Amino acid sequence: MKPEQLLAGTRFEHEERVFGAPWEARAFALARGLVEAGICTWDEFRARLIEEIGRADRARAAGSAASGDGYYTHFLNALEKLVAQKGIVDARAIEARMKEIVATFDEEG
Amino acid sequence: MAHGTAPTGAALRVRALESLLEEKGLVEPKALDAIVDTYETRVGPRNGARVVAKAWTDPAFRRRLLKNATAAVAELGISGPEGEHLVAVENTPSVHNLIVCTLCSCYPWPVLGLPPVWYKSFAYRSRAVRDPRGLLREFGLELPDHVEVRVWDASAEQRYMVIPERPAGTEKMTEEGLAELVTRDSMVGVAKIQPPARRASR
Repeated sequence: MKPEQLLAGTRFEHEERVFGAPWEARAFALARGLVEAGICTWDEFRARLIEEIGRADRARAAGSAASGDGYYTHFLNALEKLVAQKGIVDARAIEARMKEIVATFDEEG
Repeated sequence: MAHGTAPTGAALRVRALESLLEEKGLVEPKALDAIVDTYETRVGPRNGARVVAKAWTDPAFRRRLLKNATAAVAELGISGPEGEHLVAVENTPSVHNLIVCTLCSCYPWPVLGLPPVWYKSFAYRSRAVRDPRGLLREFGLELPDHVEVRVWDASAEQRYMVIPERPAGTEKMTEEGLAELVTRDSMVGVAKIQPPARRASR
C-alpha cells in the first residue's frame, strides 16, 4: 500500500476495524498476554518493535522498494525476537510447530 | 481435529507461537480472547469523547484534566495500559495540537483505543514533525498562518490526547450530545469538530 493510500479513508473512522485480520488481533493479544502474565514488560516489547519499524523505515529511505509488509508484520517479528531473546521460544521451535500444524490439516485431506 | 484450509504465512506463525506459549503455560486462549474483545469493543475513542465533552461543560474538570490527565480520566472510570502518563493538550483559536509517535505506534489506548492504520504509517510518522501543515491539508484541514501548530511526539513515556475546540452553536447541548460530536480524528489533531448544523447538511 502506498503511503498516500494509508492516509485515505480516515473519514470513515467508525467503519474502520481495529485489526485488519484475525492473526493481527492474535499477535497483539499474545504480546499483551505476556505482559499481563509478567513474562516481559511492554517497554521491552516496544524496544524490539521500534527496531523492526526503524529497519523498515531505513530501507525505505535508502530507496529499496517497500516490502509491503504492514505494521503487524513488524509487530510479529518483534514478538518472535523477544521470546527468542528471553529463551522462551526460538525460531527453530516455531518453524517446527508450523510444520506440525500444517501436517494436521494434511492428514484430514 | 483440524478442519478447513491450513493457515499460511503470518497466520500460521502466530498460531505456532501461540501453541508453544500455551504449552509452556505462559498464555491462555481465554485470556487472549478477552484481550482481543477488550480492544475491539470496549476501549475506543468513545471514552475520549466523554472526556472532551466533560471538559467542555465542567471548567473544574477541564483544569484537572490539563493538570493531570491520568487522574482526571480515572474520575470517569477510564484507565489502563498506555494511559499511565496521559497528557491532555488543548486546542485554542491560536494553537492547534497534533499527536504522533515517530518511532512506532504509541497512542493513548484508554481514551482512544488502538491507533488506526494511517497513524502507524511511515507517511504519517515522518511528515507529522517535518511538515505538519502539509499533512493536515491532506486530511482536509487548512490552518490559517496565524495558528501555531504544536506536534507532540509520544515516543517518551507520555501519551498525549488533544482536546479539540468546542464548535459554535453547541451552547445548549448536553454533555452526552456533545460527546457524540467528538471524533477520534479530532482527538489526534488531524481534524476539527464540525458544528452540528454543518454536519447535518453534509
